[in-house]
This record gives sequence, structure tokens and C-alpha cells, in this order.
Amino acid sequence: MADESSPTYSPDHFPSSPTENPVEIAKKLGKTNMLQWMEIRVCEPEKRTSTSMKMQDTYMVYLIETRITDNSVKCKGDGTTSLWRRYSEFELLRNYLDITYPALVIPPLPEKKATYTWQNMATDKFDVEFIERRRAALEIFLLRCAAHPIVCCDTIFIGFLQKNEGWKDSVYATDFQNKADSKLKSLNASFRLKKPDQQFEEVKNYSNEIESNIGNLLKVRARMADHQFGIHKLHGNYQRVFNEWSTIEKDMTDPLQSAAHYMNVYAQAIDAILEEEEQYADQLKEYLAFGDSLRSACRKYECLQYDLERADESLSSKTAQKQMLSQGKAPTGFSLGSLKKAVFGNDTPEQRELKIKHLDEQIKLTEVELKQINEETQQFVEAALRDIDRFKRQKTKDLKEIFTNYAIMQIKQCKKGIAIWTSAKDCFTKM
Amino acid sequence: MSDDLQEDGQTEPRRNKTMSKPEKQKFRDPLMNTTADDSDEAELESLDLDASGKSEVSVSRSSSLIANLSGYEDDEGEPHDMTIIVDDPEKHSGTMDSYVTFRVTLKTTRVEFENNEYEVRRRYNDFLWLRQKLEETYPTHLVPPMPEKHSLRRLERFSPEFLRMRSLALQKFLNRVADHPVQSFDKNFHVFLTAKAWEFQAHKKQSTGLLSRVGESIHNMSTSYMLKYRKPEFAAMQDYMLAFAEKLGSVERITQRIVKEQTEFHVDLQEWGPIYTLWANSEDQLVSPLHSMAKAVEVSANSLKELIDGTYDNFSQPLREYILYAESIKTVLRRRDAIQSEYEQTLDELNKRKEEKEQVVNLKISDQTYSLGAFLGKDPDEVKQNKQDKLEQMVKDLTLQMETQNDRTAVADSDLRADMERWHKNKHRDLRELFVEWADRNIHRYEKCLKSWEETIKLIQGKDVVLPTCDKVKDSDKEVSLEKAESTETDRTESDLS
Repeated sequence: MADESSPTYSPDHFPSSPTENPVEIAKKLGKTNMLQWMEIRVCEPEKRTSTSMKMQDTYMVYLIETRITDNSVKCKGDGTTSLWRRYSEFELLRNYLDITYPALVIPPLPEKKATYTWQNMATDKFDVEFIERRRAALEIFLLRCAAHPIVCCDTIFIGFLQKNEGWKDSVYATDFQNKADSKLKSLNASFRLKKPDQQFEEVKNYSNEIESNIGNLLKVRARMADHQFGIHKLHGNYQRVFNEWSTIEKDMTDPLQSAAHYMNVYAQAIDAILEEEEQYADQLKEYLAFGDSLRSACRKYECLQYDLERADESLSSKTAQKQMLSQGKAPTGFSLGSLKKAVFGNDTPEQRELKIKHLDEQIKLTEVELKQINEETQQFVEAALRDIDRFKRQKTKDLKEIFTNYAIMQIKQCKKGIAIWTSAKDCFTKM
Repeated sequence: MSDDLQEDGQTEPRRNKTMSKPEKQKFRDPLMNTTADDSDEAELESLDLDASGKSEVSVSRSSSLIANLSGYEDDEGEPHDMTIIVDDPEKHSGTMDSYVTFRVTLKTTRVEFENNEYEVRRRYNDFLWLRQKLEETYPTHLVPPMPEKHSLRRLERFSPEFLRMRSLALQKFLNRVADHPVQSFDKNFHVFLTAKAWEFQAHKKQSTGLLSRVGESIHNMSTSYMLKYRKPEFAAMQDYMLAFAEKLGSVERITQRIVKEQTEFHVDLQEWGPIYTLWANSEDQLVSPLHSMAKAVEVSANSLKELIDGTYDNFSQPLREYILYAESIKTVLRRRDAIQSEYEQTLDELNKRKEEKEQVVNLKISDQTYSLGAFLGKDPDEVKQNKQDKLEQMVKDLTLQMETQNDRTAVADSDLRADMERWHKNKHRDLRELFVEWADRNIHRYEKCLKSWEETIKLIQGKDVVLPTCDKVKDSDKEVSLEKAESTETDRTESDLS
């Protein structure tokens, strides 16, 4: 749980004094999110090997550096921190955030294993390209968290960035997993709501659709990558044949050889092209995963709503019971026999009085509970819808940029293609 | 003996016979050539080594032409006294089938033509017939190639684009014949260009008699000849043709594979674009960007299809036909070899007979053969004289035959030499244009895509955007947008729900 009133924020080389806490200072200065005064970078992946229980575990770690960019926020020291984290720690952080802030759309992590791959793509966990793409995606994850006005103030999040020792312990100390378990149980249960909020229904549908659409885009794109790769590499064969051909001709030797060179250039160009296009795929994958975050928020709403409706139902039934007891009538729907027995049968007036009092207490409790859940649900709905709205705006901006970047990529590829073929044409005209 | 046959195979053409052919180079005297032409034909009719039944098949598989070019460019800068245009394809429905006729217009200054201009209509089979006749008539010449009978895509038989390309190819064929110093005077060629429909049909029927010369020469055409006096010049031509056909074959095969891969890529693109459109159904703010993405992908797909079709029609097809043309040239080269081989055999036999004659002349009466004759009751002197006379006659005949064949060899050699030189020039130009066009097509495809994606950016951004110069799409771009988004954030709630 984030605790704004008395931050326990205390990175290694900062003195633990509330007044010299950058986060506090930032807040005082009216900054709404961390990115306004801090720079975060994920860089320099390194391979580590650790031996535990006679098993060797090899994994990558990433260097996380922060630097305070706003001088007014800076305290003692140079305002920088750096530490190493591995993927599993990112996962831990995200799980924590997911459980702790159920109303928020928590940014997704990059995929654990390579998906939507094409034939010659790097899929090995330790492949340089895969690592590099992961590094970039992890950085984006942290930036998105830091950009979120609520998340960026979370102690655990800040600790992830700056607390070198004992961060994991601090996460477990929050006991978030208990909440996780209970929430998980309800998440897995399927239930029908009586009066679900239409907006969440829409969001849920939207998340399904976006998952389907982006999934299809990625699937077809993988095929496209395969074919593009084939096309370019096949052009490389021209190089060999043109060179061989140039040896039997008298007048066409040089032009053919030059053209052969350009066929090779064309063949080699595909590697850079596909590497760039992989970025596009990664960006789409992030939004694919966001769809899941959205759906998760909806489901949490459904849990709350379910609890609310259940409490409501409980209250109604208890109230009805009490009414019935006091009036001595059998309300419709109750089995007459059993009720008569319960109400009239063996009960003495004193016993009945007791029961009514008992019910009263229960009703009061339920009323309080209902009120609480109601408030909770309302708060949740408000926060969730607001964050979903924020997400939508961010998404619109992001996707416009993603598509624009893809178009820029295509333009670059076209220009390169034109250049190569123009050079080849030049050679051919000299034949 | 064989004093006019040098080791390096250079033979001086003999000019003292009526059947000699005139110089093949630039100068053509129409009057002289006409008579020579007729006698040529008569001479050649006696040849065994003519276009066999194989030509029936090979004719439609001979080299093709770069369809997009005009037919006038054969001899750069040379004056043409015959120019031909092929255009205006028209579809006709016959009783059994439907076919296309082309208008063939001839403009000429040659005196052997009555008029200066002629216009006739011919169909593809008529062209085929003409080429066949030319091959039969000039077995040691290279006859220009014709486009294949069926394109690789048979369904397109009557499409305007296909017919346009075919017209150009046929035009090129006719103009090349018109530029040939010998073939341009061919009677069949003239009939083809000038005769009215019924005249032409009649002529075709009449000349079928010549087709019956199906028999192959004594030597098997498919084997290479063991020539006594190897002419490295022609051996080199054979080697070149072999290697050339092989290289072009490789190019064509690679192209086929690329086209196949491009076709599959095209299918992908056609599937990809609509997904963006579908996605737009779920969005309210991103409808326009998504639609423009879909549009750009569609343009990519279409331009790729254009490239595929263009490559298929204007690159692969001509390559295939050039390969087949190289095959037919090998046949002509073999024919030349056969002619030389015949000459050498005659020469050998002549020498043998001469030796025999010498032997008989120097024969003593005591020889066995003589005594055999004496045994049969003949006068020994008479036998000897008879033998001698016989051999004398043989030598005379053989000498005549040898000289004829020597001439023929010489003529075939120089025909081929001249034609090969012309072929190389044409091949050079044809292939250059073929490849230049191929490169052009690829350039155009990328240009179209480029424009489309530039449009897309404008549509997405809603205004003209200065494209960043950075190479990679860095995370910094993301950073920027995130910062921008957050700076407009007015939400200050910090409550969390736990």
C-alpha cells in the first residue's frame, strides 16, 4: 500500500530525511508525475550466472539508471542512482501493482517468450536482438509507470528504481499476495451480474476486439516477414548468375558485374528492414497486452459489483425475514410449512423476540457492509473509468505515432529500394 | 586437293559460279539479287540438309522480342527501304474457333514492289507459316524470332495488353526480316506483305509441297560432327550458345521463384489491409488513421501485383523465348557443321579415288585383279582401261561435287558469321532493354508505395509533417509522447484502492 503521508523512501545514498525527499519536493512543487523531474533508463544488459541448489541459473540483468532532471527537485548528491534488475523482478513489481491498484490499467510487460515469430527470427532467450528488444520494452514499461500520477508515488515502485538492497523483502512485507489470492478466486469464478455497468461491458468487448485485431495483424505480419525475407534472399542468387554470365560476354562484362553487386545489396537489405519492422510488432504487442490489462480491470469491477449485489440481496432477504417475523405473516415465496414451524411452530414469543433482535443486528451490520461496498464500488468505478479514459487518450496518441513510424519505416524502405534499383538500372543501361 | 581450306577454317567464297551468292554485307543491288535469289532457291532445293519437321515445332519456340519497343530500332542509323507496322488487332469468330488478325502495313521504296504502300491483315498462324518458310529457305541463316504461340497465362489471349505486346513483337519480327540483306528479298516474305486474303491462302497451299522435305540429312542432326578441319570460330559459337542458354535459364528460374514468393506476399498484404479496417470498427478516435493504413497496404498490394504481372509478361516470357532462340541457333550451327562434314567426306572420297586411279595407272599386268578379269575371259588391257576410265569419271564427278560443297560450306560460313554478328548486336540491345525495363518496373513499384505512405502520414497526423531524420524509431519518441500526454493531465487524485 502506498503511504503518502510518511514515505519510507530511503535509497542508499540519500539521507533518510523527509524534507530532503525528492518525491516530497516534487509534490510540493506541483509535479503530477515522475517523468516531469526524473529521467529513467534501462540499459546494458548483462549475463549473470548464479548457482543455487546445485543448479546453475543463467539469466540477464538490466541496469536501471535514474537521474533527476529538475534542479529544483534535486537534493544532496548528484541525483542519480543505478542498480541491476532481472526480468523476474519486473514481474514481481507488476504483480504487486496489479493487485494493489485494481482500478488502474497497469502497463504490461514485454512477452516472456517470443511470439508471432517468423522463420529466421531470433527466438532464443539470450539472443542479442531479443535481449535488445526486451530492454527497450522494459524501459517503456518503467516510463509508463513513472508517467502515471498514482503509480509513480508508490513506495515499492520507487524502491524498484532506487532501492538496491532488500527491495524484494519490502514487496513481500506488503502482504499483497494475500489479496492476490482472494481476488484470484473471485476472478476465476464465473458469475452473472444483475445490473452491470454498461460502460464496463463496452470496455470488456473492446478489449476482446483489440486483442483479436492486433493478434491477427501480428499473425499475418509474421507470414509477411517470411515472404519478404525469401524475396530478398532470392535476389542474391542473381549476383552469382550475373557474375558467371559476365565471363562469357565480351561487351557486357563490367555492367553485369556491377549489377550483380547491387543484387547482393538488395538481398542484404532485408535484415535491417525486418529488424526495424520488429519494433512495430513490439509496439503492437504492447497494446495487445494492454487489452488484457483492460479486461482485468473490468473483471475486478465485476467482482465488486457481484459483492455489492450479493450484499444487497442479503440485506433485502434479512429485512424481509424480520418483517415477516414481526408481522407473523408468511411472505410469498417462502415455504409455508417450514416457515410456520420456524415462526409459529416451536417458538415462544420470547424466542421470537430474540430472533427479531438478532436479525436486526444482522441487518444493521449488512447495511453498514452494503454502504461500505457501495462506496468502495463507486470509488472503484470512478477511478477505473478515469484511468480507462486516460488510457484511451494515451492509446490514441500512441497508435497515431506507431502508425506514423511504421509509415516512415516503409518510406525509408521504398527509398532504399528505389536507390538500389536505380543503381542497377544504371548498370543495365551501360550494358 | 583441299588447297582452299586452311587450318583455321577461313574459306574464300568462290564467286565464279552462277549459284554463288552475292556479298552479304551492306550493299544490295536489288536487280542482281532478285535473279540470284531465284537461283539460290533452286540451288537450295536440292539440299537435304534443310529445316526438318523439327522446325514445325521449333518455330513457335524461337526467340522473342521486347514487346514494348518499336520495331524500328534494329539497325541503328541505317536507312530502311522497307518499314512495317503491325497494329489494330481485331477479334474474329470463325466456325471452329475465334482468332485475332493484325493489320500489317508496309512502306517501301524497293523497286520490286509495284506500290509504295501495302496493307493486309494477317493472323498469328500466318506469321508462323512465314517464319517456317524462311527457316526452310535459309537453313544457314538465323531467322528472327517470333513470340511464343501461347503466353504463359493462356486466359489472357484476348486482353488488350497482351494483344498490344503481341503486335509489337510481330512488328519487330517483320522488320528484322526486312533488314536482313538476304531474307528481305524472299518471295514468301513479299507475298506475305502484299497478297490479298484469297491470294495469300492460295499461295500457302501451293507452297506446301516444299514442306514434304521432311527427311533429315544422312547424319543425325543431334550428334555433334567430328570435323577434320575444326573451325574454332564456330566451335566457339556453339560453346557460347550453350553457356548463354544456361545462364539465361538460371536467371529465368530465379525469377520464377521470386515471382512465386512475391505472389504469396501479395496474398498476405491482401489479408493484412482489411484487418485495419475491421479494427477501425472498434475505435472512435482512430478511424481515420486506421483507414489510411488499410489504404496504404492496399496500394502496396496492388503495386506489387503490377510488378509480378509485368515481370511475368515482360521479363520471364522474353527470357524464355531468348533461350529457345539460342536452342534454334545451335541447330543452325549444327547444320553448318553438317555441310562442312559432307564436304569433308566428299573430299576424302575424292582423294581415295584419286589414289585408286593412280594405283590402276601404275598397275602391272601381273596384278591379281587383272588376272581375275583375264580368268573371266576379258582382255587384261581392257579391264585395266575400263577401271581407269571408271575411276577417272568418279574423280571428275567427285571433284565437281567437292567444289560445289566447298562453295556451299564457304557460303554457309559467311552467312552464319554475318548473321551471328547481327544477332549479337541485337541480343545485346534486346537484353539491355529487357533488364533496364525490369529495373524500371521495380523502381516504379517502390515509387508508388512511397507516395502512398507519405499520404498516409499526412492523413494520420492531419497536417504536413516534417519527417524525423533519425534512423531508428527510438524509445525517445515514446518518451516524448508520454511526457506530452502527462503534462496535460489534470488529474490530481492520489487515492488508491486497496
